[in-house]
Amino acid sequence: MNASRAPELRLEGVTYAYPSGVVALDGLDLVVGPGERVALVGQNGSGKTTLVRHLNGLLRPASGRVLVGGQPAASRSVAQLAHLVGLVFQDPSRQIFAGSVHAEVEFGPRNLGLRGADLRTAVDAALDRVGLAGEARTNPYDLGESRRKLLAMASVLAMRTPVLVLDEPTTGQDLRAVAIVRDSVQAAAAEGRTVIAISHDMEFVAETFDRVVVLRSGRVILDGSPADVFGEAGWRALSSTYLEPPAAARAGVRLGLGSTPSAAALVAALSGHAGRPAQ
Amino acid sequence: MAGGERLNVGAGQDRGRGVPGFLGRRGPGRYHRLNPLTKATLATVTAIGAVVVGGLLGPALLVAAAVLLPALAAGVLRRLLLLAGLLALPIAISAFVVNLFFFPGGADVLFRVGPIVATAEGLGFALEILARILAISGAVTLFYLTTHPADLVVDLERRGVSPRLAFVANASVQAVPAMVERAAQITAAQRARGLDTEGSIWRRVRGLVPIVAPVILGSIAEVEERTMALEARGFTRPGRRTLLWAPRDSVPEATVRWLMLAGLAGLVALRATGAWPG
Amino acid sequence: MTLALHGVGYRYAGATRPSLLDVDLVLPHGEVVGLVGASEAGKTTLCLVASGLAPRAIGGQIRGRVTLDDEDVDAWPMHRLSQRIGIGFQNPANQLSQVTESVFEEVAFGPMNLGLPRDEVLERTWSAVDALRIGPLVERDPRRLSGGQQQLVAIAGLLALGPDHLVLDEPTAQLDPAGTRLVADAIARLATGGASILVAEHKTDLLLDVAARVIAVDAGWIVLDGPAAEVLADPAIEVLGVAPPAAVRLTREAERGGVPAAARARLAEALAK
Repeated sequence: MNASRAPELRLEGVTYAYPSGVVALDGLDLVVGPGERVALVGQNGSGKTTLVRHLNGLLRPASGRVLVGGQPAASRSVAQLAHLVGLVFQDPSRQIFAGSVHAEVEFGPRNLGLRGADLRTAVDAALDRVGLAGEARTNPYDLGESRRKLLAMASVLAMRTPVLVLDEPTTGQDLRAVAIVRDSVQAAAAEGRTVIAISHDMEFVAETFDRVVVLRSGRVILDGSPADVFGEAGWRALSSTYLEPPAAARAGVRLGLGSTPSAAALVAALSGHAGRPAQ
Repeated sequence: MAGGERLNVGAGQDRGRGVPGFLGRRGPGRYHRLNPLTKATLATVTAIGAVVVGGLLGPALLVAAAVLLPALAAGVLRRLLLLAGLLALPIAISAFVVNLFFFPGGADVLFRVGPIVATAEGLGFALEILARILAISGAVTLFYLTTHPADLVVDLERRGVSPRLAFVANASVQAVPAMVERAAQITAAQRARGLDTEGSIWRRVRGLVPIVAPVILGSIAEVEERTMALEARGFTRPGRRTLLWAPRDSVPEATVRWLMLAGLAGLVALRATGAWPG
Repeated sequence: MTLALHGVGYRYAGATRPSLLDVDLVLPHGEVVGLVGASEAGKTTLCLVASGLAPRAIGGQIRGRVTLDDEDVDAWPMHRLSQRIGIGFQNPANQLSQVTESVFEEVAFGPMNLGLPRDEVLERTWSAVDALRIGPLVERDPRRLSGGQQQLVAIAGLLALGPDHLVLDEPTAQLDPAGTRLVADAIARLATGGASILVAEHKTDLLLDVAARVIAVDAGWIVLDGPAAEVLADPAIEVLGVAPPAAVRLTREAERGGVPAAARARLAEALAK
């Protein structure tokens, strides 16, 4: 799959309120280009989950519009949009139903019409990517919580959608699982897919994504590269929503090295480039 | 004045310590503050009484006196009519139609709809059935609108029901909205994986497994964790637990409850022996 | 009160292999001990065994002894043990009873279950509410609170039982940054107040803040046990699957990246603030 095939995602003036009256999205505008790696950050209640559910049609805006690949999402059903946008939910127990890991991962691509060799390849590749290749016949509830979460991700990876959306993929996960998630994001991006992830882990965000969108009260308050968002210029906006930049960014600013959101940027700024702030 | 019973506790030197005032505060009306057992007894007696008493006038009087009047006093009349009506509607309509047109032995014809005949006897019977359905629905709804589920459970516990049993009853009722919400979340997740929720009946039935299974499996996993948390808080200790408050009860109310039950018993006896025409 | 495990092993009901093997651990009074390890390394199992829920609530087989001040507790029923050791979990909502309508009643749930006299129930409840600073929340419906707030209510509910030790299994795992801050601050306050806490966490930065000592588990064994700063700076923990605190990770990356020593020293200083 090449980059030109991933659809552009566009939200224009999207407003959405839950039946309880809570306004989750307030005239939100956002454009995500094909092949971008975007992190959505913000406190609970800022609208992140509501936003991503508009991307595959689970929610429809009260006003404004959502365009997927130039076409209004409103003109397509959730089942149709599932061919384009794969969404991994945060809680694996709200999704896992099959008696075996293999059957669980097969469900998604099968619904999309994959059969035979294509289906097998998709499933095997996804299991391989999350490190569950040897557990095809295991019952998901015999895996630990952490691997079940990776299983949930695999079951959507196997759908091979041009857009991949992850809701808090690293929450509660250990080092190894976070590495698997990061590798999966990078592999998907390398194939030209658009990847969007909701995350609370600023380190993970700074190291893995090239764009950070900060939400507060249903609106975008900051949008840029990790260097922009986690650099000193972004701190005020971040603290207004009680978010903290990663330690690398803070250290970089304290040492007068400019914006160094990731460890790599910080190290680059420190070694052999003394006196020149990192971009 | 709140409707809960609170002993004066001397504890705490600070003002405002001791049992917080908001515990067991119920209202807004006096009817709301009646003991839940009283309200439950009223609902039960009304429902059974309406079925047992003969004719049309009996249930109608019961509804007026035991459902509409208290609802008016409690300020929930409008909500009651709406809710009870909605609750009864499906059964009421079908029961009414069936009896109006298909009452066996109906001879006095009122009107025809094609080959089907509506009879006066049918109408009479249909109205009687309708009255009973409305009475039951009204009685249950009145109880629901004027009583907190927790109140009834706490009251029963105070009277000696095992706290663990009381807890299970309470938790089961509260669990329903949580399960519904969980099912909604699961449906969303499976739709996001291409599950087709439209289409043929067969497709939709097959689509139930990916929704029902996680509801069950997830609930089981959750129950395990929640049970551990309960045990960690002394839940399994045998015996009664200390209650901070309980709905107030009084001798007059208890008397009224016994009178209602006696009245119902008498009514049943009269009907059973055929002494009451019906 | 000293909580100790002596040669403790544990196998879950229906499992083929044990999850804990020959654990010796002493948790003295007034110490906050961090517990780290990869997922499924045995952190949760250790917490369950230390608190007594394993085997009492979940069955399974236990070996070795668990003692409080050298007294064997294996004959103690759960409701007695829960007054000495409280255990909290990572899912905030699952720790609520779900049958109370106010935070006050929720916190009082434990003492009420114990059948204590009313005065005592009230005193303990208020005391726990104060310790967690959730006074402004007492009237609220616990089910409508944020995850972080629910976690505070859950911990208050444990404290109300008057335990000497608290065992917290990844209390911030499911919380957003604001909730994590709320709970981390509460734990830090309890720590300065002299509480005895065993807290399992992936967030090693948090542990560096609150814990004096850290234990690392791997495949059911305790493999490291020492002062927090030392253990968390040990390169071995990365091999075990534990992410070191940010400061440690960055200085290590700087070293690997060939940053000269002087610059590294300045980095360490900047990170220490």
